[in-house]
Amino acid sequence: MRPVAIVGVGQTLYCRSHADKSSRELIWSAAKEALDDAGMSMNDIDVVVAGVAPDALAGEASVERSGMMGRGLPFMRVNTGGVTGSSTVFAGASYIRARRAKAVLVFALERMGQATTSQQVFNTIFDPIYEKDFPLTTITMAALRASMLMRLYGYTHRHWAEIAARNYRHAARNPLAHIRRVVTPEEVLQSPLLAWPIHRMEACPMSEGACAMVLVDAEHAAGRRPVWIQGYASTSDSYAMGDRIHRPEATLVDLLSLRLSAQKAYKEAGVTDPRRQIRVVELYSAFSSAEAMAYPALGFCTSPEGPAFVEQQLVDPTLPVFNPSGGPQGANPVGATAMVRIAECALQVRGTAGDRQVDGVERAVATGQGGATQFSTVCVLGRHPTS
Amino acid sequence: MSASDLITIQGRWGFDYTYFAGEAATRFFRELMAHRHILGTRCPACRRLLVPARSFCDACMERTTDWERVGPEGTLETFTIITTAFPGLPKPPIVMAYVTLDGADTALINIVRGEDLSDIEAAAQRLNTQPRVAVRFVDEPKGRITDFWFELLPQATQSAAPRDGASG
Repeated sequence: MRPVAIVGVGQTLYCRSHADKSSRELIWSAAKEALDDAGMSMNDIDVVVAGVAPDALAGEASVERSGMMGRGLPFMRVNTGGVTGSSTVFAGASYIRARRAKAVLVFALERMGQATTSQQVFNTIFDPIYEKDFPLTTITMAALRASMLMRLYGYTHRHWAEIAARNYRHAARNPLAHIRRVVTPEEVLQSPLLAWPIHRMEACPMSEGACAMVLVDAEHAAGRRPVWIQGYASTSDSYAMGDRIHRPEATLVDLLSLRLSAQKAYKEAGVTDPRRQIRVVELYSAFSSAEAMAYPALGFCTSPEGPAFVEQQLVDPTLPVFNPSGGPQGANPVGATAMVRIAECALQVRGTAGDRQVDGVERAVATGQGGATQFSTVCVLGRHPTS
Repeated sequence: MSASDLITIQGRWGFDYTYFAGEAATRFFRELMAHRHILGTRCPACRRLLVPARSFCDACMERTTDWERVGPEGTLETFTIITTAFPGLPKPPIVMAYVTLDGADTALINIVRGEDLSDIEAAAQRLNTQPRVAVRFVDEPKGRITDFWFELLPQATQSAAPRDGASG
């Protein structure tokens, strides 16, 4: 497989709203930073791939046109809900693997600070015939799974709170994070109940911001600081959540699409023992319960071992470090979040993650979750190309 | 520039839509209105009875064939109790759940009534034991998924109730 490297990363701050920047300025500032980081200009870029999730969050239709940079280049938009950011990276990487480009600029934008009622917007992503009349939102969708995890595997409120508190501890060291306050598990449990069993502080914040990266082939990687995309996979699942409740191969909380993506991406990357071969994991887990749901799918434990693994990863330094950036609980710019996961892994592998740097990161894994987990992505990054 | 100096411009999206339900959902709702029952459609490949009814199985890519009645009772699989109000969405507290109606191979979502919500945690613990429910219809159905809801059955009937509906 033709190797693909990340040679430039640009991120804005993530916060509730960037009132000081238009959508175009947000994209430009992340993209300019990524190009500068790569030591490149728009003249070196062959293709631009834009990732933006539902237009209604920004209140700007065809908001990808905000990302006009340079001239005379192929340009495409990707929208796969929560995995928009990673799908955008994969689309760019596919151009390079297919020898249709040597250098690709990818960017992802979240402008939801302009929406005054984001959960109302999120309700519109559900089926207008059989689902949308109910208060289905990103929050209740997560709650329906969290209660099932508690019934099947014995997770408690404490598990969700401990994961959240760990993410906030990490986010406090990330200068780009939206929430930078250390929060105890007790505070998490005392925060208001949104939808049983989810407390407010187990949920991600609503964040704005943009992320951009420059992807190149081996020739352009020479003389730069490349982080190699060793494997990537994107997998879909059945539309209706209710169709997955009784499915023998994977129930609603088994995250079949994430498991399949992990298997494919690990195989490309040569990962056979994820507990030992992966040092850092950046998870797209907008709720702490969703993080627990990802562990078995990524091969870190079996589903029944999940609650014990939650406790173990808090204290066992030989296990991978989860969400050193704080993950989506530190900042969740939805349409960009899955790209941020990959960008954070790239910084970790490159050794330039500042106060949130984990020692000796040879390999890192970034995930994405979109829709009602109709989409899952896994991206393995490392210091060396695999082939 | 200070935050108060930055200019903001008010906007609003107020578009109106007419959603097309398609033939399968139309029949599902027409029969619901005429006979007060819930129908599923069977996939000829995987043999699952898909509820609510739809014209094809997206796992097998096959057109569904037989229409079959399910319920009126079923098993509550997983749920949430919405406790916080969000603009534009129904007022809490609301119980919403996936229920497998007897005979169905899939679960469908709807509102659950009949649970005492004065103590949310206690209610949640009761709801998380896969209680039995029954479909109840509104007096004047309109051809919407809100034409029915799930009513919790009394505790006494819980253990004796059949559990033959689910395949999983």
